[in-house]
Amino acid sequence: MLCEKCGKKEATFYYKENVNGVEKSYTLCSDCAAEMQKNGVISGTSMGADPFGQLQKLFSEDKLFGSLFNTGLKQPEARETPKCPLCGSTFAVLAKNGKVGCPGCYEVFEAELIPSIRRIHGRSTHTGKTPARFREQNERKQKIAAMEKELKDSIASENYERAAELRDQLRNLRGNDAQ
Amino acid sequence: MKTTNWYTIQGNENDVVVSTRVRLARNLQKYPFAPHMTEGQAAEICALAREVYPEADGWEYTDFGGLTTAERRSYAEKHLVSREFAESQYKGGLLSKNSVHIMVLEEDHLRLQSIYPGFALEEAYRDVSSADELLDSRAEIAYNEKFGYLTHCPTNLGTGMRASVMLFLPACSKAHLIRGFEEQLGKIGLTIRGMTGEGSRAEGRLFQISNQITLGVTEEETIHKLSGIVEQIVKQERELRGILCKGKRDENLVRNQVRRAYGTLMYATLLQTEEMVHLYEEIRLGASLGMIENLNPVRVDEMLFSCMPNTLAASEECKTPEERDEVRAKKAREILTRE
Repeated sequence: MLCEKCGKKEATFYYKENVNGVEKSYTLCSDCAAEMQKNGVISGTSMGADPFGQLQKLFSEDKLFGSLFNTGLKQPEARETPKCPLCGSTFAVLAKNGKVGCPGCYEVFEAELIPSIRRIHGRSTHTGKTPARFREQNERKQKIAAMEKELKDSIASENYERAAELRDQLRNLRGNDAQ
Repeated sequence: MKTTNWYTIQGNENDVVVSTRVRLARNLQKYPFAPHMTEGQAAEICALAREVYPEADGWEYTDFGGLTTAERRSYAEKHLVSREFAESQYKGGLLSKNSVHIMVLEEDHLRLQSIYPGFALEEAYRDVSSADELLDSRAEIAYNEKFGYLTHCPTNLGTGMRASVMLFLPACSKAHLIRGFEEQLGKIGLTIRGMTGEGSRAEGRLFQISNQITLGVTEEETIHKLSGIVEQIVKQERELRGILCKGKRDENLVRNQVRRAYGTLMYATLLQTEEMVHLYEEIRLGASLGMIENLNPVRVDEMLFSCMPNTLAASEECKTPEERDEVRAKKAREILTRE
């Protein structure tokens, strides 16, 4: 998880305070924590001797994670979003629970979720294993792109016979895609 | 391999590594997550999971709705399910085959995990990945190209994979290295947490190292990184154990503690969980260093996992905590002295 203040370094401190019923929490790297402590924004004693343990708690407690959706730091204004068509959740519900309602929520509320996701993982794009149906799609996309390039080259070099072959093959491939 | 007793089997690097687990969080595209799910949808997910992993192919299904609280918690004590799953109000079930255990209706629709004794990250990932392929071939898994596998909690997005290794680190702990490990591991997206002691990692000797980041890294990168770190820590622990027992005087100090702990286990009439865990940590070191004749670390692990409170309550005739302490003392002794 990245520091919510500088957004660059790994957060190792979690600080929470409750003043007259008003709760504030910060997830910070050691430098920003030291700076905020120096400026008197957060107190030294509450940092605790066990900051990492507190950060662990952050991951396990829904409410705390929910608060991450609401930090207001560089997050886009919540749009007048419709309810998720599958589960009926609104972004306000997601922010309260700290968890999404269904797989479809990630598409509906993508813009609102991205800043929090980036803060947790330090990045926001998946690399790694994919389900078979996406592997096949990706392979087809790559094949189409390669053939389109070859078609362009064939036309440029006036190899119309090859271009016709490629055009027919592409039509077939795109036909499969449309299905 | 019998599915429920991984801790009775000798694993790699067993003097330091107790177990290895890899889990994948998977959800079905067309269903909402638990709080938004109807009973009918929950039943459909259970039915689908049992179709994907049928009994005819060797999968055993345990309906968690039909278990007592102690029985459910016993599965968590053996690390076969999460604590959250054992306590969950959504009574799903557990599908098991060899090293793979699949929680149906945990926080995510399915949580696939593989557990091995000792150090076996590649084997555990291989097994759980192959169970995942089976699911992929028979159901539509929730996935999008940006966020990867879609999970109830955004902390699991991406690969949905959590790989963890349980380590026995008495010497590193004694040398106060754990806090330093915490800081260093945090910088590379890994985390270490104590498994024993009242929330105090500095006092315990059993730790779990796992990955925190699941988005933007591949499964192989995570396994590779965790593997490299575990290898380094294992090496360091062994070196420090050597230093701990360097010279007759130091060796005798360690041997004295180990054999006193063993003596207590041999003659105790009543044994509480907390004391058993403390004695476990003493004699596991002794067993790893060959200080107790005919006792290896696996047998000591078997004692620990077989004598946890809910496991005893679920399997033995003991109604009160006092009866349980008596049964625990007897069972621990039986396991340690078994031929």
